[in-house]
Amino acid sequence: MKNLDNIQVPIKYSIKTTDKKTLEHWFYLMVLGRAWDDRAPNYLKQAIGWSYHAPFAGHDGIQLAIGQVFDKKTDHLFPYYRDMLTSISAGLTSDEVIANGISKDTDVAGGGRHMSNHFAKPEWNIHNVSSCTGNHTLHAVGTGRAMKRYNGKGVVISSQGESSVSEGYVYEAINGASNEQLPVIFVFQDNGYGISVPKKDQTANRKVANNFTGFKNLRIIHCNGKDVFDSMNAMEEAKSWALKNQKPVIVQANCVRIHSHSNSDRHDLYRDDVELNYVSEYDPLGKFRRLLLRYNRFTEEELQQIEEKVKQEVKIAHKKGITAPDPDPASIFDFVIGEAYKAEKYPDGTHTFDGPKKKLIEGLNETLKAEFRHNPDTFIWGQDVAHKEKGGIFNVTKGLQQEFGIERVFNAPIAEDYIMGTANGMSRYNKKIRIVVEGAEFADYFWPAMEQFVETTHEYWRSKGQFSPNITVRLASGGYIGGGLYHSQSTEGALTTFPGTRVVYPSFADDAAGLLRTSMRSEGMTLFLEPKALYNAPVAATPVPDDFEVPFGKARVRREGSDLSVFTYGNTTHMCLEAADMLGKENGVSIEVIDLRSLLPLDTDKIIESVKKTGKALVVHEDKVFSGFGAEIAAQITELAFEYLDGPVRRVGSTFTPVGFNRILEKAILPNTDKIKEAMKNILDY
Amino acid sequence: MKKIGLFYSFNTVKSGQIAKKILKEFGEKQIEAINAEIVDEKTFLSFDNLILGVPTWFDGELPNYWDEFVPALRDLDLKGKCVAIYGAGDQKGYPENFVDGIGIMAELLESKGAKIVGYTSANGYTFESSRAYNGKHFVGLALDFENQPKQNNDRVKNWCDQLKKEFI
Repeated sequence: MKNLDNIQVPIKYSIKTTDKKTLEHWFYLMVLGRAWDDRAPNYLKQAIGWSYHAPFAGHDGIQLAIGQVFDKKTDHLFPYYRDMLTSISAGLTSDEVIANGISKDTDVAGGGRHMSNHFAKPEWNIHNVSSCTGNHTLHAVGTGRAMKRYNGKGVVISSQGESSVSEGYVYEAINGASNEQLPVIFVFQDNGYGISVPKKDQTANRKVANNFTGFKNLRIIHCNGKDVFDSMNAMEEAKSWALKNQKPVIVQANCVRIHSHSNSDRHDLYRDDVELNYVSEYDPLGKFRRLLLRYNRFTEEELQQIEEKVKQEVKIAHKKGITAPDPDPASIFDFVIGEAYKAEKYPDGTHTFDGPKKKLIEGLNETLKAEFRHNPDTFIWGQDVAHKEKGGIFNVTKGLQQEFGIERVFNAPIAEDYIMGTANGMSRYNKKIRIVVEGAEFADYFWPAMEQFVETTHEYWRSKGQFSPNITVRLASGGYIGGGLYHSQSTEGALTTFPGTRVVYPSFADDAAGLLRTSMRSEGMTLFLEPKALYNAPVAATPVPDDFEVPFGKARVRREGSDLSVFTYGNTTHMCLEAADMLGKENGVSIEVIDLRSLLPLDTDKIIESVKKTGKALVVHEDKVFSGFGAEIAAQITELAFEYLDGPVRRVGSTFTPVGFNRILEKAILPNTDKIKEAMKNILDY
Repeated sequence: MKKIGLFYSFNTVKSGQIAKKILKEFGEKQIEAINAEIVDEKTFLSFDNLILGVPTWFDGELPNYWDEFVPALRDLDLKGKCVAIYGAGDQKGYPENFVDGIGIMAELLESKGAKIVGYTSANGYTFESSRAYNGKHFVGLALDFENQPKQNNDRVKNWCDQLKKEFI
């Protein structure tokens, strides 16, 4: 194997050969960046804002270089919270910098919704990223995948501090970029500290990039991030190599952190005077200035003129910034989630089609294929999704790769966070793209992806509607298969607590097909929970119209009644129907069973309407009763229909235990028809 | 032997201490100390025998005063010059970049035609990698104030004795 790390970096830029206009521009940008960097803490002291500021001083060379090689027409940039000069060098203006710093409505990153010092401009592909440091590496890889699929002409640049490389998802990201051979440049800005933690406590190699020397297809370039020319040469080479070879590069840039980590840190608590003096002596801006004079490229007067120009620019931007409009508190509900597809053919999500019955798994499989035919910008990946005759752990995706090819239907590594994070990233490339992922083999394996799931729920709101992750996350959910703790548990109790996602959980084949079509045509993220015990169950089979659509937030009355309302979804819908039938026959009672289908958004109107009719309510789901989704429904009924109730709202669900593997234990823990029937009787007798 | 120019930063502690020992070994008439912080091409070229004090900063970099002189060095013709380099490093704290500065400077000067003298044995040192180590020797004198301070005197004296034979 060719050792990519020994390839020389050509010296394109040096103090003697770089043209004066370029040097002047660089000096201007560096002085401008440093002016804001030095000024930012004052806004906090004056209680104006910028409460979070991570100074970049000491990273000047590499940050200037990242911004200079970035081309907004072709590239994508994922800066981190210390990348102020990177952003300025990439084109952000002083007005945009201060608007972000003091969280104004005019902040182009997202109108003051995200933390200060998180610079972004989605319009230019300078992405709005998390404070969860380094997790945008997965987004960068996803965007890199899209770049390759769509024959883009640029590269993706991801920037982070060296300590955040310790995060497991960074390794997943670089492994993925190496395996998929993607044009992604990972820049590690190494200042030796993760807040106060020295890098020796992070990893054994002092230069963390060396941890990746065994990765195939990956080139590693080391540079002095304090030196403008070394950094420029490194970044130019990284970009040109990544473009030419369509492979990833790591650029390890040695920097110093001249100041504390941020304004909430005091570095004098863990750095002595010698060290502080040492790092300030190597101030990159001071060095660059000395070089400009020493090699007679500029006179002192010329440099002072530039510095004066910056001073005036900052002064004007400051005045404009502090008088810029603040965000409107009434706007908080704007951009929580992207726009849903309008299911106009079936506005209430019901049909009268009387064709042959299809199993739930057939409904899903055929809808996936139909939507892949309908939209060429649709992709699906996940573990086990496509290998020869296998199509998903339960064969839901069977035949997709054969029909649509490996570019659109492909396997993912056993890395749930990678699956979720690259979905987020790939959907950033353009708004046409619709992604479906099998988030994990089983829903209970989804937890490693939680940080990316949470992240994805933030995107639309945080960017003030500038980026909508258009993703359907499919998960085979629930129990009744004797699967135990990682194959039979439910997740919706936890996953419905996040604004920024929809959560649907069908019980029948037609609803599964209709909800999947709507999800795949919508903007925003939909968590699509599939009751795996029903995939092949005859009881869940229904006729399915070819073009069926189910709007979000529309419950479906599966059994009309007048004595008791039962609200349920997923596996337990069928148990509720069975119990209602039994009690109807035994006691002549009339029980209404409503399949919620969609949990987020929730059809509160239909719930309240039914309670007003029957006066009694039972909520049934498979997940735990304690703090389960039923608690929300019960609370809403109590709040909105208390005067119509003739008894307490009851709930049936799992015990507050994990789900046991032994069938005897599983039966004791999960709800079933008998338990539901007992609860129904109890309420009816109240 | 022609007069030696001893170039080191007058602001440094460790390089300065070693410089004093070197000055003593050669004697005032044989050697002249020059502050590397303000060195220029003309002064540098005015000696045929040069000793440079080049410590290693951070994870294997030249200190800024040498780094800022590198663009000038790149354009010099150093044929006929004999250069010896010493520098301090920390073989335990920075085993991956032990005295890299010596190696970086030696490589550059050699590429400009200088003859590098004063190679020393790497026996007695423990490190993982060093740009100053050419596979057989250090291409200069490696000193370790943190871990082997007691050996400094002998190492400097032996090296100076060696240079007296190798300089022109």
